[in-house]
Amino acid sequence: MNMSYKEKSLIASLGVTLLLFGWYLYGAFSNLSLNPELPGFIEIIILIVWVVVLESIIQSVLAIKNKSQLEDERDKLIEKISYRYSYGFLSVCIWFLMVQILLDTRFDNHLMLTTPYGMFHFLLLFFVLSEVIRFGTQLYYYRKGV
Amino acid sequence: MSQQTLADKVGVTRQTIFAIEKDKYSPSLEVAFKISNVFKTPLEDVFTYD
Repeated sequence: MNMSYKEKSLIASLGVTLLLFGWYLYGAFSNLSLNPELPGFIEIIILIVWVVVLESIIQSVLAIKNKSQLEDERDKLIEKISYRYSYGFLSVCIWFLMVQILLDTRFDNHLMLTTPYGMFHFLLLFFVLSEVIRFGTQLYYYRKGV
Repeated sequence: MSQQTLADKVGVTRQTIFAIEKDKYSPSLEVAFKISNVFKTPLEDVFTYD
Protein backbone atom coordinates (compact mmCIF):
# COMPACT_ATOMS: atom_id res chain seq x y z
CA MET A 1 0.00 0.00 0.00
CA ASN A 2 1.39 3.38 -1.06
CA MET A 3 1.09 5.66 1.97
CA SER A 4 1.91 9.33 2.25
CA TYR A 5 4.12 10.84 4.94
CA LYS A 6 1.00 12.17 6.68
CA GLU A 7 -0.61 8.72 6.82
CA LYS A 8 2.54 7.10 8.18
CA SER A 9 2.83 9.87 10.77
CA LEU A 10 -0.80 9.35 11.83
CA ILE A 11 -0.37 5.58 12.12
CA ALA A 12 2.71 6.15 14.31
CA SER A 13 0.82 8.57 16.58
CA LEU A 14 -2.14 6.20 16.77
CA GLY A 15 0.16 3.28 17.61
CA VAL A 16 2.03 5.14 20.36
CA THR A 17 -1.21 6.45 21.88
CA LEU A 18 -2.86 3.04 21.86
CA LEU A 19 0.22 1.21 23.10
CA LEU A 20 1.28 3.41 26.03
CA PHE A 21 -2.04 4.86 27.19
CA GLY A 22 -3.77 1.55 26.46
CA TRP A 23 -1.24 -0.29 28.60
CA TYR A 24 -1.60 2.26 31.42
CA LEU A 25 -5.42 2.37 31.28
CA TYR A 26 -5.68 -1.42 31.15
CA GLY A 27 -3.73 -1.60 34.42
CA ALA A 28 -5.72 1.25 35.94
CA PHE A 29 -9.14 -0.21 35.11
CA SER A 30 -8.09 -3.67 36.33
CA ASN A 31 -7.69 -2.08 39.78
CA LEU A 32 -10.91 -0.07 39.65
CA SER A 33 -12.88 -2.31 42.02
CA LEU A 34 -10.07 -2.38 44.61
CA ASN A 35 -10.62 1.32 45.47
CA PRO A 36 -6.97 2.20 44.89
CA GLU A 37 -5.12 5.45 45.47
CA LEU A 38 -4.61 7.96 42.68
CA PRO A 39 -1.33 7.49 40.82
CA GLY A 40 1.48 9.80 41.85
CA PHE A 41 2.31 12.93 39.90
CA ILE A 42 5.70 11.44 38.96
CA GLU A 43 4.08 8.30 37.46
CA ILE A 44 1.89 10.39 35.18
CA ILE A 45 4.83 12.59 34.17
CA ILE A 46 6.88 9.46 33.35
CA LEU A 47 4.03 8.14 31.16
CA ILE A 48 3.73 11.45 29.30
CA VAL A 49 7.53 11.68 28.85
CA TRP A 50 7.51 8.14 27.39
CA VAL A 51 4.77 9.12 24.93
CA VAL A 52 6.60 12.31 23.90
CA VAL A 53 10.00 10.59 23.55
CA LEU A 54 8.66 7.61 21.57
CA GLU A 55 6.54 9.85 19.37
CA SER A 56 9.48 12.21 18.72
CA ILE A 57 11.80 9.33 17.74
CA ILE A 58 9.27 7.79 15.34
CA GLN A 59 8.31 11.16 13.81
CA SER A 60 11.99 12.08 13.34
CA VAL A 61 12.73 8.79 11.57
CA LEU A 62 9.68 9.30 9.32
CA ALA A 63 10.69 12.90 8.56
CA ILE A 64 14.20 11.81 7.56
CA LYS A 65 12.85 9.06 5.29
CA ASN A 66 10.22 11.28 3.64
CA LYS A 67 11.43 14.38 1.83
CA SER A 68 8.07 16.06 1.17
CA GLN A 69 6.42 17.26 4.38
CA LEU A 70 4.49 20.18 2.93
CA GLU A 71 1.02 20.66 4.43
CA ASP A 72 -1.62 21.86 1.99
CA GLU A 73 -5.32 22.73 1.99
CA ARG A 74 -6.42 19.08 1.80
CA ASP A 75 -4.41 18.22 4.93
CA LYS A 76 -5.92 21.21 6.76
CA LEU A 77 -9.46 20.27 5.69
CA ILE A 78 -9.04 16.66 6.83
CA GLU A 79 -7.55 17.86 10.13
CA LYS A 80 -10.50 20.22 10.63
CA ILE A 81 -13.03 17.43 10.02
CA SER A 82 -11.20 15.10 12.41
CA TYR A 83 -11.11 17.76 15.16
CA ARG A 84 -14.88 18.19 14.77
CA TYR A 85 -15.52 14.48 15.39
CA SER A 86 -13.00 14.35 18.21
CA TYR A 87 -14.46 17.44 19.90
CA GLY A 88 -18.00 16.08 19.54
CA PHE A 89 -17.04 12.81 21.19
CA LEU A 90 -15.14 14.52 24.01
CA SER A 91 -18.06 16.91 24.66
CA VAL A 92 -20.50 14.00 25.00
CA CYS A 93 -18.11 12.23 27.39
CA ILE A 94 -17.61 15.33 29.55
CA TRP A 95 -21.38 15.86 29.77
CA PHE A 96 -21.80 12.19 30.67
CA LEU A 97 -19.28 12.54 33.48
CA MET A 98 -20.86 15.78 34.71
CA VAL A 99 -24.30 14.14 34.85
CA GLN A 100 -22.78 11.18 36.76
CA ILE A 101 -21.26 13.55 39.32
CA LEU A 102 -24.56 15.42 39.72
CA LEU A 103 -26.51 12.17 40.14
CA ASP A 104 -23.95 10.89 42.59
CA THR A 105 -24.19 14.08 44.67
CA ARG A 106 -27.99 14.09 44.51
CA PHE A 107 -28.65 10.43 45.27
CA ASP A 108 -25.48 9.59 47.19
CA ASN A 109 -24.78 6.60 44.93
CA HIS A 110 -21.00 6.47 45.40
CA LEU A 111 -20.32 5.22 41.89
CA MET A 112 -16.75 4.14 41.10
CA LEU A 113 -16.91 6.60 38.24
CA THR A 114 -17.18 9.58 40.58
CA THR A 115 -14.37 8.70 42.98
CA PRO A 116 -11.19 10.76 42.33
CA TYR A 117 -9.46 7.61 40.98
CA GLY A 118 -12.35 6.69 38.70
CA MET A 119 -12.89 10.26 37.51
CA PHE A 120 -9.21 10.77 36.73
CA HIS A 121 -8.99 7.57 34.70
CA PHE A 122 -12.31 8.03 32.93
CA LEU A 123 -11.21 11.55 31.92
CA LEU A 124 -7.91 10.11 30.67
CA LEU A 125 -9.79 7.33 28.83
CA PHE A 126 -12.12 9.86 27.16
CA PHE A 127 -9.17 12.02 26.17
CA VAL A 128 -7.28 9.03 24.71
CA LEU A 129 -10.40 7.84 22.85
CA SER A 130 -10.93 11.31 21.39
CA GLU A 131 -7.31 11.28 20.18
CA VAL A 132 -7.87 7.83 18.65
CA ILE A 133 -10.98 9.19 16.90
CA ARG A 134 -8.97 12.18 15.62
CA PHE A 135 -6.19 10.00 14.18
CA GLY A 136 -8.63 7.37 12.90
CA THR A 137 -10.87 9.93 11.17
CA GLN A 138 -7.89 11.52 9.46
CA LEU A 139 -6.67 8.14 8.22
CA TYR A 140 -10.18 7.31 6.99
CA TYR A 141 -10.51 10.57 5.04
CA TYR A 142 -7.02 10.26 3.55
CA ARG A 143 -8.07 6.87 2.15
CA LYS A 144 -11.71 7.61 1.27
CA GLY A 145 -11.24 11.21 0.13
CA VAL A 146 -13.08 14.40 1.07
CA MET B 1 3.98 16.34 -16.69
CA SER B 2 4.45 14.26 -13.56
CA GLN B 3 2.19 14.59 -10.52
CA GLN B 4 5.17 15.79 -8.46
CA THR B 5 6.04 18.53 -10.97
CA LEU B 6 2.45 19.77 -11.07
CA ALA B 7 2.24 19.58 -7.27
CA ASP B 8 5.42 21.67 -6.92
CA LYS B 9 4.15 24.28 -9.36
CA VAL B 10 0.76 24.55 -7.66
CA GLY B 11 2.12 24.37 -4.10
CA VAL B 12 0.31 21.25 -2.91
CA THR B 13 1.43 17.70 -2.18
CA ARG B 14 1.64 14.97 -4.81
CA GLN B 15 -1.04 13.09 -2.86
CA THR B 16 -3.44 16.00 -3.34
CA ILE B 17 -2.90 16.00 -7.12
CA PHE B 18 -3.47 12.22 -7.07
CA ALA B 19 -6.68 12.71 -5.02
CA ILE B 20 -7.96 15.37 -7.47
CA GLU B 21 -7.27 13.06 -10.43
CA LYS B 22 -9.07 10.18 -8.74
CA ASP B 23 -12.05 12.43 -7.90
CA LYS B 24 -11.41 12.01 -4.17
CA TYR B 25 -10.89 15.68 -3.47
CA SER B 26 -12.44 18.89 -4.84
CA PRO B 27 -9.77 21.59 -4.74
CA SER B 28 -10.35 25.19 -3.70
CA LEU B 29 -10.88 27.80 -6.41
CA GLU B 30 -7.34 29.06 -5.81
CA VAL B 31 -5.75 25.65 -6.46
CA ALA B 32 -8.11 25.02 -9.42
CA PHE B 33 -7.03 28.32 -11.03
CA LYS B 34 -3.37 27.56 -10.34
CA ILE B 35 -3.70 24.18 -12.07
CA SER B 36 -5.41 25.72 -15.09
CA ASN B 37 -2.69 28.41 -15.19
CA VAL B 38 0.02 25.73 -15.25
CA PHE B 39 -1.64 24.14 -18.30
CA LYS B 40 -2.45 27.59 -19.76
CA THR B 41 -6.02 26.54 -20.42
CA PRO B 42 -9.38 27.88 -19.17
CA LEU B 43 -10.64 26.49 -15.87
CA GLU B 44 -13.64 24.75 -17.46
CA ASP B 45 -11.31 22.75 -19.74
CA VAL B 46 -9.54 21.27 -16.72
CA PHE B 47 -12.48 20.88 -14.33
CA THR B 48 -16.10 19.97 -14.96
CA TYR B 49 -18.99 20.09 -12.52
CA ASP B 50 -21.06 16.89 -12.32
